[in-house]
Amino acid sequence: MEDKHESDVVPSVSLEKARTYIPGLDDILEGGLPRRRTTVVNGGAGSGKTLLGLEFLYRGALIGEAGIFVGFEESVEQLRQNAATLGWDLLAQERSNRLFLLDGRIKPDTLTSGEFSLKGLLAIVSGKSREMGAKRIAIDALEVLLRLFDTPRQVRSELHALSDWLQQADLTAILTVRPPSHGPSPFEDFFDSMGDCVVRLDARVSEQVTTRRLRVIKYRGSSAGRNEYPYVIGERGFRTMPISTVGLRHKPLGEKISTGVARLDEILDGGFRRGACILLAGLPGTGKTILASTFVAGSCARGETVLYLGFEESEAALVGNVMSAGVDLSPHLASGRLRFLTNFPEAMGTEEHFMRALDRIEADSPRHVVVDAISACPRMGGKRSAFEYLMRLLNACKERGITVLFLNQLSGANDYLEISGNDISSMVDTAVFLNYQQCPGETNRVLQVLKARGSRHSNQKWEYVIRDSGIQILDAYVGGGDALTGTLRQRQEERDRIEAQRLACEIEAKELELKRLRLAHAQAVKGMAPRGDEP
Amino acid sequence: MKPTAGAANEPSADGGQPRYRLRLFVAGDEPNSVKARSVVSRVCDNHLRGRYELEVVDVFVDHQAAIEARVLMVPTLVVEAPAPQRTIVGSFRDEEALLGALGLSAAGERS
Repeated sequence: MEDKHESDVVPSVSLEKARTYIPGLDDILEGGLPRRRTTVVNGGAGSGKTLLGLEFLYRGALIGEAGIFVGFEESVEQLRQNAATLGWDLLAQERSNRLFLLDGRIKPDTLTSGEFSLKGLLAIVSGKSREMGAKRIAIDALEVLLRLFDTPRQVRSELHALSDWLQQADLTAILTVRPPSHGPSPFEDFFDSMGDCVVRLDARVSEQVTTRRLRVIKYRGSSAGRNEYPYVIGERGFRTMPISTVGLRHKPLGEKISTGVARLDEILDGGFRRGACILLAGLPGTGKTILASTFVAGSCARGETVLYLGFEESEAALVGNVMSAGVDLSPHLASGRLRFLTNFPEAMGTEEHFMRALDRIEADSPRHVVVDAISACPRMGGKRSAFEYLMRLLNACKERGITVLFLNQLSGANDYLEISGNDISSMVDTAVFLNYQQCPGETNRVLQVLKARGSRHSNQKWEYVIRDSGIQILDAYVGGGDALTGTLRQRQEERDRIEAQRLACEIEAKELELKRLRLAHAQAVKGMAPRGDEP
Repeated sequence: MKPTAGAANEPSADGGQPRYRLRLFVAGDEPNSVKARSVVSRVCDNHLRGRYELEVVDVFVDHQAAIEARVLMVPTLVVEAPAPQRTIVGSFRDEEALLGALGLSAAGERS
């Protein structure tokens, strides 16, 4: 029996655990729920406790551990339909006798008279459990059934009987309970005492976005994550992410990979680094999406997979737009190497956005992830939420050695804080700034690498053009301390031969000047500036 | 458990009287179940002689029947006929309570 899943046994503690196989939850529970014991899940309406119980059984069934679900609120058909929206085929598990759904709703024609007990329920689950060789059970919304009892004494006595039965049954149990909407429940303490493990689910609404948090209140005989952990009801079920464990397992930066633009590779001394966080910041129309798509197309052509998270436009619009700049993403979509996940930021809370992205990252294992654009993320529910979303996404990618491209649409000001975007600058390894350069009679585009961790790179501004064959970076010239672009640059080219030497000298002088300034600055910082400089 | 179809085959004394089909779910010999059985038997004997069928189901013996009838509490009496179907959960405070649930007023039934 115990030979099949080594991971089910946690060697450091004596308590045996049953994995929930719910992403993230087993980390918080340090292995899973206490096996052959009861876990009480306490949560209000909409907290997802029914789903948690059902998912525990469904995922158990998938690995061959049969389970019984007893629901007092929903019909079996409703449960199947709800599960189907998450891609779970309950009926298939029911047919293979790995799942049994018991309709425990009280029939509307029911009257009560005299005394009664839950023995019918216990007889059913005992019998069914023997038949199926069940290992798991979830009893959902028990408080509904308890309403039939007239006195607290009866309720307590029934809970005792249930608790005794669960203790002798060879089942890992989840008991979900909804606390009363107002005032303390006379049985709350008792419910909690029935569980070796007590988990509280809490759904609250802030800034019009629902935030769900999970907390392990108690875990007899084991430690567990003590914080509040965010969770969502995602596309495939219940998901949680332990925030405090992130950031410890980042992969180091990998080798250089092409940006897709040969000149940019030169400027970056070989290209982007694999597993890096790359920021592409710029005003609207500077070609951030085109530059990112060029990288995407190049990566896919090398056989690598990319996940593109779009918040600004639909997949079709984006593919069409970059096509007009000579970047054809369609073959990579067809081959499945490129996958889009597009959602409006307002469509859901940050956690759901994050979990959906994580679902795809786990399912597709992309080598690169593009976020277009991080400037849209505060619309998910505020700046703080956007920051959390991006940090967690970045952490998830960094742990897996996935390259991340953050696109940041600037509103106009060339303020470095805005360029770096949402206070994530310390996490950014490489920052590329795309800007307009105003010249007499024309506006040109210039590109500048502001940061490239672990690489030599040029600080120069480079003029680039967006042609129907893609992005092309032109030569840059330093004259008068700024880059020359467009027509001015062409005139400069004509004068090039004559001026070359003078320019070279000027550059050298500038560099020397810069060096001197840096030294002076360093001395000033150390408080060791020469006395002569003092007033 | 064997259905105790007490006198159900005898012709009804009064052809106009409805016939009753009852199923009583019990859990072995626990006190509430024993009490319910005795109350139901007594009421059937005294008031429904010749026009009832009573099946007693022990949920620990036949849990499948309990699943199908959605009986989680015991004792439970399901009145399958006459319509409408009714479900009475509990050991019955007294005979009067059961008579009321069956639509038989105690006084009116006694001849």
